[in-house]
Amino acid sequence: MVKAADEGKMLADIREILDNYPPEERYILAVMQDMQKRFNYLPKAGLKTLAFYVGVPLSRVYAMASFYKAFSLTPKGQYVFRVCDGTACHIKGSKILIEQLYKCLGIRPGETTPDGRFSIETVNCLGACALAPVVVVNDRVYAKVIPGDVEKIIREYGGYAHEGKNED
Amino acid sequence: MKIMIDAREVMAYPGETILEVCRRENIFIPTLCYHPAFKGQGACRMCMVEIIDSSGQKRLVASCTYPVSDGLKVITSSEKIKKTRKTLAMLIAGRSQASPFAQEIAEEYKVKPLFFKGFENEKCILCRLCINACEEMGSAVLAAVSRGVDKRIETPYAEGAEECIGCKACAEICPTGAIEVKEENGQRIIWHKTFDLIKCANCGKEFATPEQIKFIEDKTGRKMEKFLCEGCRKRQTAEVIKEFSV
Amino acid sequence: MKEKMKIESSVNKVMVCCGTGCTANGARQVLAAFMDKLRDNPNFEVVPVLKATGCNGWCEKGPIVKIMPQDISYCHVKAEDVDEIIDRTLLKGEPVKRLLYRDPVKKEFVTSIHQTDFYRKQHKIALRNIGEIDPGSIDDYIERGGYKALKKVLKEMTPDEVIEEILKSGLRGRGGGGFPTGLKWQACKNTPRFPKYIICNGDEGDPGAFMDRSVMEGDPHTIIEGMLICAYVLKAERGFIYVRDEYDLAVKYLRQAILDAREHGFLGENILKSDLRFDIELVRGGGAFVCGEETALIKSIEGYPGEPHDKYVFPTEKGLWGQPTVINNVETWANIPVIILDGAEKFASLGTVGSPGTKVFSLVGKVVNTGLVEVPMGITLREIIYDIGGGVPEGRQFKAVQTGGPSGGCIPASHLDLKVDFDTLTREGSMMGSGGIIVMDDTTCMVEVARYYTNFLAGESCGKCTPCREGIRALVEILTRICKGEGELSDLQLLRDISEVMQEASLCALGRTAPNPVLSTLRFFEDEYIAHIVEKRCPAGVCPALTTFYIDPELCTGCTLCKRNCPVDAIKGEAKKKHEIIEDKCIRCGECYRRCRFKAVKVR
Repeated sequence: MVKAADEGKMLADIREILDNYPPEERYILAVMQDMQKRFNYLPKAGLKTLAFYVGVPLSRVYAMASFYKAFSLTPKGQYVFRVCDGTACHIKGSKILIEQLYKCLGIRPGETTPDGRFSIETVNCLGACALAPVVVVNDRVYAKVIPGDVEKIIREYGGYAHEGKNED
Repeated sequence: MKIMIDAREVMAYPGETILEVCRRENIFIPTLCYHPAFKGQGACRMCMVEIIDSSGQKRLVASCTYPVSDGLKVITSSEKIKKTRKTLAMLIAGRSQASPFAQEIAEEYKVKPLFFKGFENEKCILCRLCINACEEMGSAVLAAVSRGVDKRIETPYAEGAEECIGCKACAEICPTGAIEVKEENGQRIIWHKTFDLIKCANCGKEFATPEQIKFIEDKTGRKMEKFLCEGCRKRQTAEVIKEFSV
Repeated sequence: MKEKMKIESSVNKVMVCCGTGCTANGARQVLAAFMDKLRDNPNFEVVPVLKATGCNGWCEKGPIVKIMPQDISYCHVKAEDVDEIIDRTLLKGEPVKRLLYRDPVKKEFVTSIHQTDFYRKQHKIALRNIGEIDPGSIDDYIERGGYKALKKVLKEMTPDEVIEEILKSGLRGRGGGGFPTGLKWQACKNTPRFPKYIICNGDEGDPGAFMDRSVMEGDPHTIIEGMLICAYVLKAERGFIYVRDEYDLAVKYLRQAILDAREHGFLGENILKSDLRFDIELVRGGGAFVCGEETALIKSIEGYPGEPHDKYVFPTEKGLWGQPTVINNVETWANIPVIILDGAEKFASLGTVGSPGTKVFSLVGKVVNTGLVEVPMGITLREIIYDIGGGVPEGRQFKAVQTGGPSGGCIPASHLDLKVDFDTLTREGSMMGSGGIIVMDDTTCMVEVARYYTNFLAGESCGKCTPCREGIRALVEILTRICKGEGELSDLQLLRDISEVMQEASLCALGRTAPNPVLSTLRFFEDEYIAHIVEKRCPAGVCPALTTFYIDPELCTGCTLCKRNCPVDAIKGEAKKKHEIIEDKCIRCGECYRRCRFKAVKVR
């Protein structure tokens, strides 16, 4: 549950983001980018305020939020593992890295661990094909990752003891 | 201007689409996402026809969005068009497995649907006519959510929307019955929202939601004296006309 | 300015490549180390100039540090190497041998990367400044002739003459469509409605391609100059650069470049004291592959989901907000100033008759030298992959090359002598696309590759029209069952039938080209499909359900390489003794198969 004080802070943040843009439809995308960066997701209050501010139905804003991959409608983890699944990474085994992450964290791309610490995402191409396969955690790029590295990388972020439910 | 449709010369006006001309001339073209009340969407692609350009090359275009130009040559039936529609029918019926409407399309085109897994209860064909209707009503609570193969029609957050007036224009225009409307105990449930229903002052049938009435009143700027259902309203109008014609 | 240049040319310049690839390998730390150690260094009379440049293209060898004017290039530089470079190269003028590139064939050290095979066959137009300038410095750009083309058109050319020049150059859109740029400008100029808009399409979304990123983050001003020239032709006053938000560096440098250009009077009112008035806004994309499609991109700028619509009326007539609009891709814009300055003839003398000029490719996958290359059109795939790319690494066999991004096609070894230009690739069922070249070796399963691309497109289709949305869904489902060993021979015809309708009936280019990976692999690698369906076997050892790895005891030397790299400890055996795979434990990741130097790991 979000506490009232947090909510108040969030609304103030939303206001602050909106103040940077005139109330025109073409800034919807930019506002959403800023919100995503600030909150790590697009809060409902944010989308509602944005729709009202620009003067479009919420459905339009929601359609956009769900259309573009940069946005998430639920909060993401503290550490976001972005596994590049571009072609170069794919043929160099990114699929296996995703499997290894699943084994270690128990989550699939698009999901967040119950404690809110880790999320996994796949991204199309980070444009670092020469370093394939690539995993990015928050802003740090890990190049030429092999399956054995996955656990080591997770340990750098405090590790995660997955109960071993998915050992099949 | 004049255009040729299947070797027949017909009149057309600037700004019209091929489909609009064909409808006026009674030339049949199948459509799923088209409704005369709205602009062509080019989404279902059932209305594909062939055009012949100045160099004699044929190509498929969506008749609901292709604007006519003077001297345009159109073919509305050919092997290629048939094959396209057949395959589309196969795909649509494979997706909308629970929709008798979609299954009939497959039968009509004599194809065996390619049933997709996980779509056993799917009725929607994503024609988006509901979105158009809702927008036209001024509520605009429906959206084509997500993208790619996950596209679906929903209200934001799959919740009842403030602006929804329960008019069920969306359900009425839906060709597949994909929009669930429950009416019982004087209430209507649609798109995660429950509405009270008002009875017709004449026949007693439950016919509209208070939100709907208010919407109409706001729009026309007139207070309704008596709430009449559509049938009764028509009958009343007919009576009035009769009186005058005597 | 002249004074400053004179001094600089005699002074050492240290250029640290800070493109995304090198940064990931630690280039920022190298840069910081140089900064730290050069600052107030008493050993220098004149302290060398330190520059963070854009991508040199040879990401494989990064971080790359170039020392000018001696033209010495160092590969894989670490922060620890900085002292030695300062001491030996900058102070004594001698190269640090161990950091030089070593030619794997001739076994010789190469002082300058410009002398390596990777660079020698290249011809840089769009990438001319990249790696040579600091992308954050407008002065660097001006010093290398930047904004001269703009001055030339303003002073010496009429808008029609500019169009004539672009038409004569034969420049075709580098984003993939290959439409003649001059015709596009002309069509827009001839539409008698104002305002007109200019858009730079920097929404590079192809997995395995990063040409545009490199230009945007390595030489942002060339894009601005190209757009300005077009603005002069069209009398347009506003332009937009639509860039992927994931490209942090590109966003940063473009933003900086726009500000600097305004300050220097290249953007704004009365540009260079002429009537030209033009400004550019940066639009950050939301991460949708389909927004590379013009009509979708326009929708996105307007503030809608990026769904394309039928392009029966071109954007040059009805584009952004219904107004006439020219959209060109990043690389196309980068070519414009060069064509204006050097003349159309010179540009057209490169490449082929139908596709003049050069093209930037990102060469990645199973190839020794991965990175960005700019080559004249008409070069063969073999030259790119073998002469520049150095062939397939680890002694593996070349199998196919995929061009044109996710909706391109796979081309087999027998077609390697094809000339790379717009028309040839399209004729072979692939396409130029934006310029991705992905090399695949014998450990790549072509059915799985087709499934991968189609699955990628399943998430990237906008989902509006039936053939694309449902057609891709059908293709993925069929390909997945083939990969699982549940396919039937009749599936092959089904794949072909659905593909054909998608090509003909889809709303936009994404849907129309989406079946290319399926069709091209069916055409050239049908035997692999049949192996999956009939023999229930994946010859490349990729599809887990159809793969069993084993170690050939005859070939195994017991080097333990496979054992050490197995992520699940599924290999047993001691050093110098035969190894064995425990089948129950094996997750079929193929790490051992790819790594074994003796080809002892085999696919049953």
